[in-house]
Amino acid sequence: MNETNKSENKISEKREFIVNSASLKEVRSFSREVFEKIKIDQDLKDELVLAIAEAAQNIVKHAYKDIETNNDKMEIKISLGKNDELEIGFFDKGKPVDGAKVRHRNIDDVKPGGLGTFFIQQIMDAVVFREGEKPWINHLILTKQL
Amino acid sequence: MTYKVSEEGNISTVFLNGEIDMDVVDKAKELIMPLIEAKKEVHINLKDVQYMDSSGISVLIESHQKALEVGTKVILKEISKSVLKVIMMAKLEQILNLD
Repeated sequence: MNETNKSENKISEKREFIVNSASLKEVRSFSREVFEKIKIDQDLKDELVLAIAEAAQNIVKHAYKDIETNNDKMEIKISLGKNDELEIGFFDKGKPVDGAKVRHRNIDDVKPGGLGTFFIQQIMDAVVFREGEKPWINHLILTKQL
Repeated sequence: MTYKVSEEGNISTVFLNGEIDMDVVDKAKELIMPLIEAKKEVHINLKDVQYMDSSGISVLIESHQKALEVGTKVILKEISKSVLKVIMMAKLEQILNLD
């Protein structure tokens, strides 16, 4: 193994979660489980778990706003390639998200809310929204070079 | 999340424990807001909070702002390393009362 590689093998793990706030704990557990297999420091692991949980929370809060989910599921896929680029994919069947309209609030305008997207952007290198391939509606991709 | 509240004079100390996310913030608000509305000085002890996301940070901001509005204060006590990191990421270390 190249000494710079953060993992012995390529990692690609995915899991589905029911779209509700009670699933966020499971999302964090899954993320922590995957990051245990990657050689990065604990602070970075914690940040990545936060970014993933915030993105999942955005699906619950925004993509499914005013939607009765009927146990709809979202899928999260965490992949680490040989080049140590971490890619985290989020797939959901909520309302289509226009990535161009996703903005965090002005950080100097202190008020509750609007911080999740700011945290994601602080932690990750890139945030890309794509149209999901069937059956998914939205596909969010977060990437970070480890 | 679990919690404990202790009272001493006009100070209410809320000891939060566990992970604070969107799923439990309503519970945290229901606990903290009435104390502020009763004009108590509220100390929120975060020693045993291992994780807090943007929803939890929003409760801290809302509590702080409500306290200013009613003329009391909220002080964050024994902030765990992981919570402090998120507070700093949100650039709130100069805004909230940290002890």
